[in-house]
Amino acid sequence: MSNKKILIVDDDPDVRRGLQVRLKANHYDTVFASDGISTISEARKHVPDLIILDLGLPAGDGFAVMGLLQANDFLSGIPIIVVSARDRFANKEKAIQAGARAFFQKPVDNTSLLAMIRKVPGESQKLELPLVHDLGEV
Amino acid sequence: MNTRTIRVLLVEDNADDAILFREMFRKEQPGSFELAHRERMSDAVDYLTSLPVDIVLLDMGLPDGHGLETVRRAHAAAPQVPLIVLTGLDDEDIAAQALKDGALDYLVKGQIENRALPRALRYAIERHQTQMETEKIRNQQLQLKDEFLSHVSHELRSPLTAIYEFVSILTDGIAGEMNSEQAEYLQVTMRNVLQLRSMIDHLLDVTCVQGGKLSVEPRCIPIADVIAEAVTVCQASATAKEIALALEVPAGLPRAYADPRRLRQVMINLISNAIKFTPLRGAVTVQAKVYDANPKFLLVQVADTGCGLSPQDAQHVFERLYQVPGSQAARKGLGLGLYICKELVSRQGGEVWVNSKLREGSMFSFTAPIFSLDTLIAPVLRNEEKRSDPIALFEVRMRPADGWLTDEAREEAALQARNLLQKCLMPALDVLLPQMGPASSDEGVFLVMARANEAGATVMSKRIREQFARSEQFARTGLAFSVSYSLIKTAPQDVHAPMEEFVRRVASKMQDRINAMLFRSNGNEQ
Repeated sequence: MSNKKILIVDDDPDVRRGLQVRLKANHYDTVFASDGISTISEARKHVPDLIILDLGLPAGDGFAVMGLLQANDFLSGIPIIVVSARDRFANKEKAIQAGARAFFQKPVDNTSLLAMIRKVPGESQKLELPLVHDLGEV
Repeated sequence: MNTRTIRVLLVEDNADDAILFREMFRKEQPGSFELAHRERMSDAVDYLTSLPVDIVLLDMGLPDGHGLETVRRAHAAAPQVPLIVLTGLDDEDIAAQALKDGALDYLVKGQIENRALPRALRYAIERHQTQMETEKIRNQQLQLKDEFLSHVSHELRSPLTAIYEFVSILTDGIAGEMNSEQAEYLQVTMRNVLQLRSMIDHLLDVTCVQGGKLSVEPRCIPIADVIAEAVTVCQASATAKEIALALEVPAGLPRAYADPRRLRQVMINLISNAIKFTPLRGAVTVQAKVYDANPKFLLVQVADTGCGLSPQDAQHVFERLYQVPGSQAARKGLGLGLYICKELVSRQGGEVWVNSKLREGSMFSFTAPIFSLDTLIAPVLRNEEKRSDPIALFEVRMRPADGWLTDEAREEAALQARNLLQKCLMPALDVLLPQMGPASSDEGVFLVMARANEAGATVMSKRIREQFARSEQFARTGLAFSVSYSLIKTAPQDVHAPMEEFVRRVASKMQDRINAMLFRSNGNEQ
């Protein structure tokens, strides 16, 4: 079985690298984006099993990204976990409403994050892939 | 000198009094006052909401209003307009209360000298303007400070995330094995990273305290579990200083009505403080019991054999940013921990205090209310007309599809469920009960009490089912749910019992029913 692929979105290269090392050690493949726009294009290109999304991003913040992902039939089934430095009381519910499966505040406890990552893709209600690919090429 | 016309609205039903008040303005310069007069509260409210007024003179005995209620109505209709209350000779107590409800001042009828009234009005308007300006500036400053703190804590968190991640990569051995000396040094790094993180959390909590946004979600919890958990968290730092950390909690304590997360935060704060200020090989003891002085509360105490506090310091330790002068250990903190503790405890209805002797040790105590179903349901039972209506108890149970959820996911699902249930409730008639079982078993059970008969309960359970089925957010949690209800009938002798007794009987019947629901094993359901 091939490794699950995770799209890491964060504008801080150190945070991206740290997550990459951690996820690689747990047998996940990783791809990256550092702003809102490239998140959408990377998601189209790689069709990841999961997106780990920061909220404070240049060129379209995390909420805008979630809005775009949700509006796209091709991408709306990809589960999103928000990992943000923003105040959890003010942003958690908002993130969940916007379509995130979970909200973690930075710095994240790795055990809970990994548990959530293991848990989430299994539940995803992704559309059948071949059909989606046809639509996606249009 | 302000030469603008002052527009006065006089609300007074007594025609003679109204004439007297008009008389009092007669000697003023023409054009300095403009007096409008209304006899009824409803007309006065209409006037206030449609026309500009500089000050209101309000009689408290109007035909369509009662005392303090008129003050609240007038204040609500035009919160920006200063309000002076007119009272009779014997009503000074009520007048004093009126000041709390939004009145700026009060005048006693029959004791107002002729020229005094216009002067009082001018002065009141002047004072009101100054107050409003001060208030505005204060709010701006508070908001600026909140934004600043929130921004700073956000900016600090980002680099801390990278530090934390890479240090934990090293300590977890992901980048290869380390020798024991390297591992030890990294442990020191990690300890300080975590300390930094808790300081940043404190900063954010403090912004929330001041904005009144510190979230507290009380539920019915076994306090012993929370205390034990906090002690476990602090054990390592106690061991490092060879401090004996003892836990003395009797079995069978009544449950507390408190937010377990916040209670844990308070406990960890008090225990780690005790450890911090206690010398090597000292002792820290944590105790809990029913509070003798007020048996409706539990008393939790954290005692240490540390450096103690002088009486002056003991007075101030709960103040924001206070640090005991000259203390070495206090250097490692912001002076916010105890301030936040105090806020959290009082937000949950308790109190916190300290008894201390210099060089002998300190004992920090706080109280938390004991859970009482009576208190919780009493407000909806007090409606006399509905006394004989039956009570429906709804049970909404959520189950993960594959039997396991992370804490985060569980919290998420609970949040969703609570929001959905709130949408189905009538505020004065229904109560969403706090979660009541041990944390592990009932995370997925929500109970709602409603005044409803069989037909009403059927409609309501249908409504709840629809809300859950329709919600995309809930669907995303991947949980299955079930809704059931049972009716609790009020017996004729209950209906005629005194209110307190009635509440007590209903609560006891409900508690039996709830226990039956909570301890029914999952496997017995279809």
